[in-house]
Amino acid sequence: MTHDLVYNILSLGVPFSVALLLASLGEMFNQRAGVFNLGCEGIMCMGAFLGFLPAFFLKTGPLAPYGIVLGFAVAAAAGVAMGLLFALVTVTFRAEQGIAGIGLQMMGWGVAGTLFRHFVGGVTGVEGLASWPLPGLSRIPFLGGILFNHNPMVYIAFLMVPASWYLLFKTPWGLKVRAAGTEPRAADSMGINVNRVRYQALMLGGAMAGLGGAYLSLCQAKMFADDLVAGRGFIAVALVYFGRWSPLGVLGGALLFSLAQSLQLAIQVAGIKFPYEFAVMLPYVLVILVLSLARKARMRGPTHLGVPFNREMRY
Amino acid sequence: MRKPVLALGAVFAFTCGLSAAPPKGKVKIALIVESTVDDKGWCQSMHDAIKAVQKQYGEAKVEYSYSEKMKPVDAGSAARQYASRKFDIIICHGAQYKNLVTEMAPDFKDTTFVFGTSADIGGKNVFTYMPESEETGYLNGIIAGMVTKTNVVGLVGPVDGGDAARYDRGFVLGAKAVNPKVSVKVAHTGSFGDFVKASELAQTQMKAGADFLTGSSQQAMGALRAVAASPDRNIWWAGQDLSQLNVAESPRVLAASSYNYTAVVEVLIAKREAGVKGGENIPLNFANKGFVFAYNTKVGKVLTPAIKKAVDKAKADLAAGKLKLDWKAVKF
Repeated sequence: MTHDLVYNILSLGVPFSVALLLASLGEMFNQRAGVFNLGCEGIMCMGAFLGFLPAFFLKTGPLAPYGIVLGFAVAAAAGVAMGLLFALVTVTFRAEQGIAGIGLQMMGWGVAGTLFRHFVGGVTGVEGLASWPLPGLSRIPFLGGILFNHNPMVYIAFLMVPASWYLLFKTPWGLKVRAAGTEPRAADSMGINVNRVRYQALMLGGAMAGLGGAYLSLCQAKMFADDLVAGRGFIAVALVYFGRWSPLGVLGGALLFSLAQSLQLAIQVAGIKFPYEFAVMLPYVLVILVLSLARKARMRGPTHLGVPFNREMRY
Repeated sequence: MRKPVLALGAVFAFTCGLSAAPPKGKVKIALIVESTVDDKGWCQSMHDAIKAVQKQYGEAKVEYSYSEKMKPVDAGSAARQYASRKFDIIICHGAQYKNLVTEMAPDFKDTTFVFGTSADIGGKNVFTYMPESEETGYLNGIIAGMVTKTNVVGLVGPVDGGDAARYDRGFVLGAKAVNPKVSVKVAHTGSFGDFVKASELAQTQMKAGADFLTGSSQQAMGALRAVAASPDRNIWWAGQDLSQLNVAESPRVLAASSYNYTAVVEVLIAKREAGVKGGENIPLNFANKGFVFAYNTKVGKVLTPAIKKAVDKAKADLAAGKLKLDWKAVKF
């Protein structure tokens, strides 16, 4: 009984974490470059819808197998475009990032909903991405089902954690990103085009948020409905703080949140006497608790996070 | 489908002591919803009803306008604008609008305000409506109790309140009435519109062994989608709120209940014609034809004659008042 309960919590919690993980990793790049993008939610909304659209239109016919792949590509491209727009507003025009982010969130949510009404009409499902058990590995007792019996996007998302770490800490571009968020003036004096780096980081972050949104519509819910993302973009932003701007920390945050979500659902389904109102709060309370108890000295983020770069100004 | 619903509406109005005749003048109706009018659930059911009445009486007699995605804080502004534009009936479709309706109604005494679900009696120009959903839940519960092989049944609830709470408890009563061994896994997402969370909850229930699921409110589509996407083809669903027999996921749906809000709208118009602007609660139940219940005829032998017989008898007994459901006694 306990074995089954733990297995179910873990095997469901892992795929539940993917949308948050993808979006949070993207947001981590944004913030590492000195820009925090509260519009992550809006990008996820657009990614969820535009990712869903090819799968919806191509669900029958010879191109049907490519609908989902195309959906992820379109979602990533839409994320890049929205990241570019956000960069234009916050990097070039130096608009206040928080306000611009809220604007992007509302725009993404509204445009996705409007296009959905126009092109689809109502709540609709798609085939979605099926599970793809990894040969051999998925047969490992207990762990096989938890880690290796998911759809391909789960594996890709988890592989993006070491890839992001490598990109951020082992490549010249990663060094530029970190410098743009921490010492932009020094980076500028060393010949790094800070604004260009921020543009690039925002485009990458947008692509990953778009993928996170598409994961919701193509893999998790296998449907699209208005406001499908339902606030997960804001949680993704919070998880970057939770993860202390490191890929591993972000992974930990996404897993903690999703496992707590899986746990609270399992508690309810198991019939354990516990008010459901408190159960549904559990993941949020847990994140706040960990954030509150974390050592403040280790919570320092990029020093120029949220500060537009202007080489003519002193900070 | 529309004609039988309208016919039922006429019966409903008749049982309320009113004739379902077109209004003498033009009636202006506004609808305010928190989701969208095509959500295949809660909001669409009321929208469809008003459109059906508009079609029945003619657009010259019924003017209709609606506002979507209205959180309670925004809905007040929308409702005030409708009232200022002399709309006759303003339906705020959700119990979350209770406070704004209660506060606004005295300012617009000629306007009929409506909100639900609620069993409260509002002010002189406020109607409420309350689906007695324990009845539809009971029928779906009977099906679940007789169909399940694992004796584990999942219920994806939004919150434990309003008609959802009644549906959930009726479902438990129905399942237990025919199968004392059944375990009904009742759980809530805490949201009416989080489709992803409903999907996650349904997946959790299926992992826990549930081979029959149900759920209410618009978020239930997320759970139904999870059932339809499951590789296990022996997991079934019973629908609530809006008939889910015509959606793409219908091969997994054994039966569905929907609210006949057409009848409510007709009663509202007729009451207003008679000079009654509020102060009453309009219940929906099988006795007054406030529910439409239908089997899925395309699921083959899963719905056995014994199941249909048990459900039909319960439905007839509920309509005749022979079967009373003590839904409040059910504790989760």
